[in-house]
Amino acid sequence: MPTMTVNGLNTNVQLVPAAGAGQETVVFLHGMGTDSLASFYLTMAPPVAAAGINVISYDLRGHGKTDRPARGYTIADFVADLEDLLDQLNVDQPVHLVGNSFGGTLAFSYAAKHPSRVRSIVCIESEPATEVWASKMTEILDHTVKFLAVEESYDWIEANFSAHHRRLARMAADRILTTSIAKEVPLGPLLTLDDIAAIRCPVLSILGSNGYQADDLDALTSLLPNGEVHVFDGQGHSVLVEQHKNVRELVLRWVERQAA
Amino acid sequence: MTLQPYPRTTVFDTVSELLAPLVGDLDVLGIRITPDTRFHDDLVLESIDLVTFSGILAEHFGPDVNLADYLTQKDLEEVIELRVGEIASYVAGRLARRG
Repeated sequence: MPTMTVNGLNTNVQLVPAAGAGQETVVFLHGMGTDSLASFYLTMAPPVAAAGINVISYDLRGHGKTDRPARGYTIADFVADLEDLLDQLNVDQPVHLVGNSFGGTLAFSYAAKHPSRVRSIVCIESEPATEVWASKMTEILDHTVKFLAVEESYDWIEANFSAHHRRLARMAADRILTTSIAKEVPLGPLLTLDDIAAIRCPVLSILGSNGYQADDLDALTSLLPNGEVHVFDGQGHSVLVEQHKNVRELVLRWVERQAA
Repeated sequence: MTLQPYPRTTVFDTVSELLAPLVGDLDVLGIRITPDTRFHDDLVLESIDLVTFSGILAEHFGPDVNLADYLTQKDLEEVIELRVGEIASYVAGRLARRG
C-alpha cells in the first residue's frame, strides 16, 4: 500500500499519472464515514488518467487505510493535510478539486484559503462549510451516533439492505464512536457568504434532485460568481456511486473545458 | 517464439495466492478460495482492499492488468458481488491479449 506521511499521519495515497504529457491535475476528495479513495478510484481514476489528466487520490485522515487519530478532525485539519500532500508532491500548478459530499466541503474550504492553487471545483452533493451546513451536519452526526450505538440498528440495516451494508455500518461506527470526528467536523472553521462569493474559480455542482439540497437546487450556485449546476432527476445523495459513469463523463468534459 | 496462453487454472491459483495476504490466515479463518468466493462478503474485504489488490495484480502481472480500470465499467452491485473467479478471468483475458 503506497503511503506518505502527511502531517504526521500514515496516509494512503494513490497517484495515477496522466497518459501522455498531461498538464491538468485532478485531486479526488472522498466523503465521510465509510467512504475512502476507492469510491473515486474504482469509478473513474484510471479512465481520467487515460484521458491525459494526472490523478491524485488519498484516504482522508480517519478513513480507509490512513491513520485514525482519536482527535484532530476539524476542517482546518483536513485542509492542512491537503496542503501538506500537495506540497510534498511538488504540485505547483492549480488543481481541479473533485469532492464527494464532505470532500466537496473540504474543496471549498481549501479554495477559500488557497485561491491561486485551485483551477476549478467539482462538488458532488456538497455544500461549503457555512453555519447552515454546520447545523445540518450536527443534526446528521448526532442522529448517526445515536443510531450506530444501538445494536438493533445493525439488524435493521441487514434486514433492509444487506449483510455488506451491515458491515459498512460497523466500520462507520468504529470511526464515529471511537474518534472525535462527530464533534469536531461541524466546528469548521466556517465560511461566510462573503467568503463563498470570493471563490472565483469555476464550480460545477452535481446534485441529485432528491439529495441533500433538494429544497433548493440552485442555492449553492446562486452564491458563487462562477458556478454551474447539473441535476440528476430522481437521484438521492449517492450520486457518485449510482451515476458514476455519467459523473465521470461530466468530470472529463468539465476538465477539458477548463483546460481549453 | 510463440508464447503459450497462460492456463486459466494457473492464473486462478496465482490470483488466490496474491489475495491470501490481504485476507489473513486462510487456515485459521477456515476459508478456501474458490472461483465463486465473493471478494466482499466471503473474504470480508472492502472496496479499499480492491484498490490495494489492483496494485498487487499490476505489480505481479504488469501494468496492463488493471483491475481498477476494469471495475470502472461495472455497476455498484456488480462490484459488491465480485467473485475471485471473475478477477482471475479478467487477468487471464489480459494476459491472452499479449499473445
